[in-house]
Amino acid sequence: MSMVEFQKVTKRFGTVVVLNEVDLAINNGEVVVLIGPSGSGKSTLLRCINALEEINGGDLIVDGISVKAGRSQVRLIRQEAGMVFQQFNLFPQMTALENVAFGPRRVRGASRPEADTLARELLAKVGLADRADHYPSELSGGQQQRVAIARALAIKPKLMLFDEPTSALDPELRHEVLMVMQSLAEEGMTMIVVTHEMAFARKVGTRLIFMEDGKITVDGDPNTLLENADNPRLREFLQHVN
Amino acid sequence: MDFDWSVIVDAMPSLLDGARLTILIALAGLAGGLVVGVIAGLMRAYGNALLNGIAFAYIELIRGTPIVVQVMFIYFALPVLADIRINPMSAAITAIIVNAGAYIAEIVRGSFLSVHKGLKEAGLALGLPMWKVLLYVIGPVAFRRMIPPLGNQFIVSLKDTSLFIVIGVGELTRQGQEIMAANFRAVEIWTAVAILYLIMTGTLTLILRVTEKRMRML
Repeated sequence: MSMVEFQKVTKRFGTVVVLNEVDLAINNGEVVVLIGPSGSGKSTLLRCINALEEINGGDLIVDGISVKAGRSQVRLIRQEAGMVFQQFNLFPQMTALENVAFGPRRVRGASRPEADTLARELLAKVGLADRADHYPSELSGGQQQRVAIARALAIKPKLMLFDEPTSALDPELRHEVLMVMQSLAEEGMTMIVVTHEMAFARKVGTRLIFMEDGKITVDGDPNTLLENADNPRLREFLQHVN
Repeated sequence: MDFDWSVIVDAMPSLLDGARLTILIALAGLAGGLVVGVIAGLMRAYGNALLNGIAFAYIELIRGTPIVVQVMFIYFALPVLADIRINPMSAAITAIIVNAGAYIAEIVRGSFLSVHKGLKEAGLALGLPMWKVLLYVIGPVAFRRMIPPLGNQFIVSLKDTSLFIVIGVGELTRQGQEIMAANFRAVEIWTAVAILYLIMTGTLTLILRVTEKRMRML
């Protein structure tokens, strides 16, 4: 069974059709890189998976649960799908440690010592063990994004969603975030990544999806596609990105 | 004219009694008003059409009428309408609860909605129900932003208690009025009354400033 299955999913904002009957199946262990021009629907597609956007037509099954199955089921989906945002969205009133421990405590019902131990392990994993007691405002963008990744991992998701995780970062800070994502992929995490980082797509991605106008128009192996794109729109897009 | 300090010394016990009532009305009224305001404000910000409509009607009704009319209605009209007899003190506290609640509702709504929507999404994306997102994620950030406008409202409400002179509550202004009516020492009495109000509002300002300083503003 697929981890994520789009069945003729349609999403509209008012009269604008953002996703047009999208079919897509993503399996366990895949690292899917989603690219496309702005407005093509890639972020919306990602946000439909954990029901931050409500779909208007078709069905979308995540880990066996439909996003249309009601609030409590949607919460279960969200607990299986960790999300990392472009703007980090760390909780500003909490330290790095508290941000990461928050999910285990409030979602999984862990005790404070349990949650803190897990949070320290995850902060160490993203290379921020020494920043545990810093507030988000005291961290660089790259550090904030790594804390955000640790926060998402702390609820033990089966799937990770990344919505342009490096777009808000200076070039020299992107690397540290991409390295964390790469090690996550190497551990076998299922990942869906909206990004413009073609080097990451080539090195880490197992599948590349190109979207335009609310549809998936190219879907295949990243290396093949990036070396030799048949689709003229994809070729044009890649020239602009590189 | 001579400023006769002994007038103030003689009047002070009664004035302090009045000030005590003023503080009691303001504290009880604002505590209740805070509860009402948080509920009505959240109904406005996150409620469905019905809850939003109820809160909106309440806020408009209260903000659109003077507090003197509200307290007279509670004290004089309610007994006629609903056969509810309440003492002046309860009427005064109720008036502050209802009145401050409406203004605090707008403060609460404004500060919750001013919190970046990415935080709400980050909370929801972890799989939390909305009420927990409001309680643990948005609430703490919003609360810090509420402090300055809440301070304003607290001071306004404290001073509004002076209007309850119209229903005969023995608060500070009423005490001053009664002493003045007996000894005609307007300058001394109203100076003393004004200074007592200043001490009360000043203390409030100080408390709020300390609270604000002790918190990390976000």
